[in-house]
Amino acid sequence: MSKHTKLQPGERVFNILLLLFSLGVLYEAYRISGPGFESISSPGAFPVGLGLILIASMIVIIAGQFRKPKPDTKGALDEARQFLQLHFPLPIVVFSAMAIGYLLLLEPLGFVIATLLFLFVSMVYLRHGRFVSSAIIAAVAIAIIYALFKLLFQVYLP
Amino acid sequence: MADSLAYFLMSWTDLSLLTLTAVGTFAGIYIGAIPGLSVTMAVSILISFTFAWDVNDALALMVGVFCGGVYGGSRTAILLNIPGAPSAVATSFDGYPLAQQGEAGQAIGLSTVMSVIGGLLGVLVLASTAPVLSEFALQFAPRDYFLIAVLGLLLVGSLAAESLSRGIFAASLGAVIGLVGMDPVTAEGRFTMGSMQLLGGIHYVVVMIGLFGVAEAFFQLHQLNVKPVRQNVEKIIPSLNLVLKFLPLSIRTSIIGVIVGALPGTGGDIASLFAYDHAKRSVKNPSKPFGKGAYEGLVAPESANNAAVGGAFVPMLTLGMPGDAVTAVMIGALVIHGLNPGPMLMVTTPHIFWFVVGALVLANIFLLIFGLMGIKLFAKVVELPKAILIPLILVLCVVGSYSLNNSMTEVYWMLGFGIAGYFLKIFGFQMGPIILGVILGPLMDNSYRQAMASVGDSLPAFLTELITNPLSIVLTIAIVLLLLSNFPLKRMIRGSKNAS
Amino acid sequence: MMKNILATLVVSTGTLALAASAFADYPERNIEGIIQWGAGGATDNVARSLTPHVEEALGTSIVLTNRPGGTGVIGMNTVLTKPANGYTVLYGAENPQLYPIMGLADFTYDDMTPINVIGQGLVVIAAPADKEWANFGDLLDEAQANPGTLRMGGTGAGGLPSTVLAMINSVDELDVRNVTFGGDGPGITAMLGGHIDFMPLSLAAAQEHIASGRLKGLAILTKESIEELPDVPPITESLPQIESYLPWGPFWAVAVREDTPNDIVKTLSDAYEQGVANEQFQQFLSENGAQSLNLQGEEAEQFLNRWQSVTAWALEKAGSAKVSPEEVGIPKP
Repeated sequence: MSKHTKLQPGERVFNILLLLFSLGVLYEAYRISGPGFESISSPGAFPVGLGLILIASMIVIIAGQFRKPKPDTKGALDEARQFLQLHFPLPIVVFSAMAIGYLLLLEPLGFVIATLLFLFVSMVYLRHGRFVSSAIIAAVAIAIIYALFKLLFQVYLP
Repeated sequence: MADSLAYFLMSWTDLSLLTLTAVGTFAGIYIGAIPGLSVTMAVSILISFTFAWDVNDALALMVGVFCGGVYGGSRTAILLNIPGAPSAVATSFDGYPLAQQGEAGQAIGLSTVMSVIGGLLGVLVLASTAPVLSEFALQFAPRDYFLIAVLGLLLVGSLAAESLSRGIFAASLGAVIGLVGMDPVTAEGRFTMGSMQLLGGIHYVVVMIGLFGVAEAFFQLHQLNVKPVRQNVEKIIPSLNLVLKFLPLSIRTSIIGVIVGALPGTGGDIASLFAYDHAKRSVKNPSKPFGKGAYEGLVAPESANNAAVGGAFVPMLTLGMPGDAVTAVMIGALVIHGLNPGPMLMVTTPHIFWFVVGALVLANIFLLIFGLMGIKLFAKVVELPKAILIPLILVLCVVGSYSLNNSMTEVYWMLGFGIAGYFLKIFGFQMGPIILGVILGPLMDNSYRQAMASVGDSLPAFLTELITNPLSIVLTIAIVLLLLSNFPLKRMIRGSKNAS
Repeated sequence: MMKNILATLVVSTGTLALAASAFADYPERNIEGIIQWGAGGATDNVARSLTPHVEEALGTSIVLTNRPGGTGVIGMNTVLTKPANGYTVLYGAENPQLYPIMGLADFTYDDMTPINVIGQGLVVIAAPADKEWANFGDLLDEAQANPGTLRMGGTGAGGLPSTVLAMINSVDELDVRNVTFGGDGPGITAMLGGHIDFMPLSLAAAQEHIASGRLKGLAILTKESIEELPDVPPITESLPQIESYLPWGPFWAVAVREDTPNDIVKTLSDAYEQGVANEQFQQFLSENGAQSLNLQGEEAEQFLNRWQSVTAWALEKAGSAKVSPEEVGIPKP
């Protein structure tokens, strides 16, 4: 990744979220051995240490934010819009939705059908059409994967 | 001596053994290349498969698969930025940038040659010093494993390219992920939030596939319309000059590999990360900056992880103790074939030792042949349009994570890590330190507690041991030196000033 | 209308397919065998030597995976979360019988259908060869002179070493530091390097190392010395009070989920019976100082219950049980 001289849209919110996550980790770690430690080699000792390091490093990161110019955004709403525009353009959103759909359909439909469907639909979408070649590629790919995993390596497929 | 030579050459002169080693190596390359298909898995399937065979036949096949598999992980790491196995994670740091610059062919060619050099050096050490090395490995007490883990975690400094604090955060995050599950000592859940599913922990290959494969696939969706780089497939086999230039580095990192591999409890994954770090520290003028396609960044981990194969056989053949997961399964194979893998193996059945050494050398020769074959075709994978490649990558990730435990749970985790990884990447967190944490976190926790229990939970006693035992002193000094070079105050201040 | 017909058609073909698969001959695909201890340990060795013979009888592959951790709870839990269709079998050791009283989990072999109790092993208390102790009595003396300083290798709460320790403590006093390893294998490695002082081990795991002279056997958990290690004294020589618990030893069993259909249990039981009876496997067992049991059905359940009640009440007496056996309904022996 290239160096960002400015804060990215959404960076401050994300860092706050990570800080909250780190606090959650510390809380969970603290709960492992119950309040108070039985010994310095108790199951919770190392996790608590990790929680503290997470928090400390996040605080350093957040402190660093103040030394950098703010992103060119007008208010929180605009920042959210820019963030989505920058990192979640339509193809990524649609493809992620397809991927989640694929996982959900994997067990009900079985591996072969679900994968065929996913490969075909996502390729048609990403390539803006070209139905025939997408269908052929999907079919060939699935044949190779099936032969390799199921027949040769005897791996279970969903 | 003559007997030893005869057993050494056995797999070379017997046609069926020769063929089996070749088949094993060939299959291993592709098993290793596919994330989720592991060498351990393949070898345990082979146990049942080769049950009725002669022990030599079975061993020849397994040795081939082992050698091929460790090498194979680098293929997908270079071509797609998805390491086929944890020991190939470091290979992706510079291998993938090379592929992006149209040098996938050269990268694979170089990694093949260096893997073979590393592999052969590993066998050489195994053949010449196995008994000595295994005695040395036994000297590592729990506290020394703890120190190794600390040393490993300090690699964050060189893996986190831009911001140290982000690297530390990422490594700790990885360690937390690695600790999820049941505590091995008291058997209570840690970070499981009451879920029975999580008691078994999160498989680190799932994390790897998610962070590297899926997150990378999402990232590449940004470049849908960018024409893929044309791959230069001329001069794939590295010139003698180039090989000679990197030979010293390759030898140094192979030594790292074989020692880390010989320690029961650490293997090629840790060895390759150590090697990468070593290259970054010792090479002043790399061919390109590290992380942007340095050949040195490819040479080091590939030499080390293949040298670790020879290392892993050291405790197995001398003591009957596994050096890693694969040799553990091979011990099972020997038991089933009526041999008693133990400290007496070298005495009662020395031919097994020389046979394995011979087969390992042979497998490395086949590795050179098969590895250099078909590179042109593979390099073309990078030239596929992204719109075709990305859906295929996702399917591969799904199959890989499903086959780990034959359950959908791992697949959902994989996608979850993919999405989390995408966010982390956006905001400048690196994936390398996370994997480092996942691998080293549990080792550190375990060895720390073993060490503490050994001294009766007394911190002063623990610290005293660190500076009185010779081995621990060396490791402690290494840590201190690394700390001084890694975290000088100046950089800490500057780092937090423009932490990015 | 058309939609309805289509829907009916889809549903009925679906049902047909399901029914067909239910009647299909078991096993029609690979079986997954989950080993609840790590690679290189005793349970692992037993599982891997036995399985090929069972595969032969069953006509399918059994893919073995190690799922170590949490004294075997993780492996057993994995099997319990898989469908009860006979395609996931557990290769377990004795530990599950103690889960409830150790507060580890609320399941035991009672929550599964035992397919075969393969055999019972012997326990040997081993130490590095350079220790000056000649027998277990010497170790006890040193431990009592310096309580809480000797380092014992363990495998976690409820593992074999801590159970043996508790049995000893129920009749005498042995106060040690418990250093936990991932299994027999890593424990032996640490002992070879002198990083722990002793460790109770299954004979199968320790035998080769004692024979080679790298480790020495201080005592064997039997009333009389055994053929495989004639120089190792029985524990009753140094600790006669422990006799009431003997014969005692770890065992290995194969089990499937409780609600697995009967015909599948039958198929599996037959296959494992043949597998265990195989001459080559019998030889493996005796070479490793284990006694073959090969118990199925009722007999297997009786064995499991007796072992549980003897051990659980010994732990209770030593004060090592977190939950009283009475509370979880384990009858007194």
